[in-house]
Amino acid sequence: MEQHSAVGKRIPQRDAVDKVKGSAIFTNDIKLKGMLYCKILRSPLPHSRIINIDVSKAEKLIGVKAVLTYKDTPQVKFSISPTWADKLPLESEKARYIGDEIAAVAAVDEDTAQEALDLIQVDFEELPGVYDPVEAMKPGAPVIHDSVENNISKAIHMECGNIEEGFASGDLILEDTFSTQAQSHCSLETHCCVAICEPNDEIKIWVNTQAPHALRQKLSYALNIDASKIHVITPYLGGGFGSKIDLEPAQAICILLSKKSGRPVRISNTRKDQFISTRIRHPTISELKFGVKRDGTIVAKQARVVMDNGAYNSHGPAVLLYNNVMFSSLYRVENIKYEGYLVYTNKNWGGACRGYGDPQATFAQESMMDMIAERLNMDPIDLRLKNANNPNEITANKVRITSCGLRECLTQAKEASNWAEKKETKSKYRGLGIASMIYTGGGSIGSGFNYSGATMQINADGTIHLSVGAVDIGQGSNTILTQMAADVLAVDPEAIRLTTADTDTTLPCMGTFGSRVTFCAGSAVFQATNEVKNMLLEEASEILEANMEDLEMKDKEIFVKGSLGVSVTFSELASRAHYKRKKTLIGHGYYNGPEVSDDFDPTSYVGYPSPAMVFATHIAEVEIDPGTGKVDVINFVAAHDLGRAINPLLVEGQIEGAVAQGIGWALTEDLKFENGKIVNPNFHDYKILTIKDVPKITSILVETIDPNGPFGAKGIGECAMVPTAPAIVNAIYDAIGVRIKDLPATPEKIFDGLKKI
Amino acid sequence: MVKKHQIRTTVNGEEYDLLVDPKKTLLQLLRENLDLTGTKEGCDEGECGACSVILDGKVVNSCLVLAVEADNAEVTTIEGIHRGEDLHPIQKSFVDSGAVQCGFCTPGMILTTKAMLDEIPDPSEEDIKHYLEGNLCRCTGYSKIIDAVNLAIKHSK
Ligand code: FES
Ligand code: FES
Repeated sequence: MEQHSAVGKRIPQRDAVDKVKGSAIFTNDIKLKGMLYCKILRSPLPHSRIINIDVSKAEKLIGVKAVLTYKDTPQVKFSISPTWADKLPLESEKARYIGDEIAAVAAVDEDTAQEALDLIQVDFEELPGVYDPVEAMKPGAPVIHDSVENNISKAIHMECGNIEEGFASGDLILEDTFSTQAQSHCSLETHCCVAICEPNDEIKIWVNTQAPHALRQKLSYALNIDASKIHVITPYLGGGFGSKIDLEPAQAICILLSKKSGRPVRISNTRKDQFISTRIRHPTISELKFGVKRDGTIVAKQARVVMDNGAYNSHGPAVLLYNNVMFSSLYRVENIKYEGYLVYTNKNWGGACRGYGDPQATFAQESMMDMIAERLNMDPIDLRLKNANNPNEITANKVRITSCGLRECLTQAKEASNWAEKKETKSKYRGLGIASMIYTGGGSIGSGFNYSGATMQINADGTIHLSVGAVDIGQGSNTILTQMAADVLAVDPEAIRLTTADTDTTLPCMGTFGSRVTFCAGSAVFQATNEVKNMLLEEASEILEANMEDLEMKDKEIFVKGSLGVSVTFSELASRAHYKRKKTLIGHGYYNGPEVSDDFDPTSYVGYPSPAMVFATHIAEVEIDPGTGKVDVINFVAAHDLGRAINPLLVEGQIEGAVAQGIGWALTEDLKFENGKIVNPNFHDYKILTIKDVPKITSILVETIDPNGPFGAKGIGECAMVPTAPAIVNAIYDAIGVRIKDLPATPEKIFDGLKKI
Repeated sequence: MVKKHQIRTTVNGEEYDLLVDPKKTLLQLLRENLDLTGTKEGCDEGECGACSVILDGKVVNSCLVLAVEADNAEVTTIEGIHRGEDLHPIQKSFVDSGAVQCGFCTPGMILTTKAMLDEIPDPSEEDIKHYLEGNLCRCTGYSKIIDAVNLAIKHSK
């Protein structure tokens, strides 16, 4: 096996020391001279027409420096892409959910800003609201966006093979309906930004975004400001999970208030703001129908999905597409039908959330797989093995799979969980459940872009400086990208200086989402560093009078193999290049892939162009308290095909964290609405897991060495969220025979289920 | 104008005479007046532990404590526990165990761990979970935080 000096090593995060010292600066820690504080007036009604906004009293309050309404903002709607644009930074005609942005104030302190909000008089005409997506689709339902018929923002109709013939060839047909609830991302750091408008009209914004370069484009579009005049900087970021990808209305508001007041402005969400005004995981209702042969072969599968979009699109259309792609491409099935509807309601809008539509699809599909296994009297693992995807296959919906370790995930998780033995000796109220998944391990170029850039330069003093547009949001990309570069140059990763996430000093990168940074930014880093490596070797071969192939690198020096003592340092090489040859030692890397195939259909994502798909299997062991219905997850095995683990320590961290979020979604996390109003917008009533609730998690890293990934690596960030809930729900069924079809699996539902048996 | 209160407090070994607004929390005092931004605000309602500091030997949520309550008291924040150039053994354990992801919960986790170990040097797994239950982390799933605490216990022996 190839030897690696840095790749594959369990190295702690390079930023961890700053973080444990408390010296890491997050956005909310930034305080500028003369800085104002912003508060936003939000709609108290779920659906209304805005008749009049009177800000005169607020403007007169001492300490108020600027007040903003739609009259001060360009009327350009935005979304993930102009096609789906439906949101204004401050609404002008209608408010469509409780929390919708109406006006904003910048004042000398937060108390004054809050006081000013109370002085703003808004006349609303209340409109009937609709909160259930199924109701919202019916003719005659209240219309939320004027031009959108039946509130259906996007519909997908896809068929592969011949669904009728497929079902006709099956020995068993199973149908059922599964539903999932809203989840809040709950990054511990809330959304925040600080904007300043310089005298030359240039805008600088420090913001906790997962995608600084993309944000610059979006701000430019929504505010009608040339992108070259916007400088986005992302300081340390306190967790995202998808919540920080969008252009937030607050970011646009902050910039406009800074322009209007001529002073720096900061806006920081309170935890309540965070719950009531940032994106959520889309709730779904999935009606499935599966046809199988007696031997377990799935001959046809069909899904009809209604996805609750909430009031605005954000990523909704793409989340629905992903729901289809992941449902359709898991397992080898020839005949597939998918019908999906993304439906507006007067509630908080959904957005990107770890797994991007896949957890919903996988919960439904993997519950169904268990139900099938039971009917066929087959081991659930054998059923999955029977239908598992293979390497180098094209699925019925034209997804090109390169590396694929699903079979290894299934068999290794089985072994690690002691499946066979535990099934034999099953005790009452204890159960084991399994679920698998497919996801992208490198984003996708479906929207036309999947870019990440990197620059590597060697300075005359020998400094090795890597710059990437990607953001480390806590997952550790800063560490693994420098590990990759260090490996190419045979240096210690610590020896590399790193600049990231700054639109003025780094090459563009789409951002941190889609489990794409390892693959895409990693590919760019690999390319940039190899380019510099070659320059160094070329220089050195001249000086040392040796062939490039005979040279070796170590600790910032280049030697002639076998003749120790004859060497030249990086610093000498760079000095010579700079001063004598007037040449820089800079390498560039740019990834934007894969090639889109001719059969790609952007409306259904048939032919979904991902650079690499990833696979996983989770096995949960639970114990149920029959007296209360409470579920304890006591053991958890998570096997992931991630190509190669660049840093196993950090990979385990991704898996453990995502499993915890998945357990939360499965059992306790439920953003509850009453007539469009969130009734549990705080950590007391919305329960994320505490240290007491998390089981021991055994991570298994299946290294399939992807042919296209940097060092064979694929992504991991979102994946471990995906099959967690169905593994738990299947384990609950195994334990007590209660099948939970609507998440979360609360003690009440389980207790009720137990009574019915 | 609100009447301000005069307080004398020791933060990380340094004494301060301060005039504070009686409504201000200790969290605001630390972050805004003393620029000790290592103490984080995750909820401002006592539910997440990101703002944990040590007040007279006991760990508190500084968002629930009024600044005036720090009068004549001793406060330790994350900026005050390393030993000269060296990290405190708990800080080092958090780094080495991979217990730090985004790092937003980390200062609070470390201070709560410190207060626990000052009180019970050899806690059981149950003690650890009991003490850290009020400190939420959304990134790590807590496994590596438990590893870090156990490593810190080992170091302190
Ligand atoms: S900020 Fe004090 S407990 Fe959350
Ligand atoms: S490391 Fe991010 S919240 Fe704990």
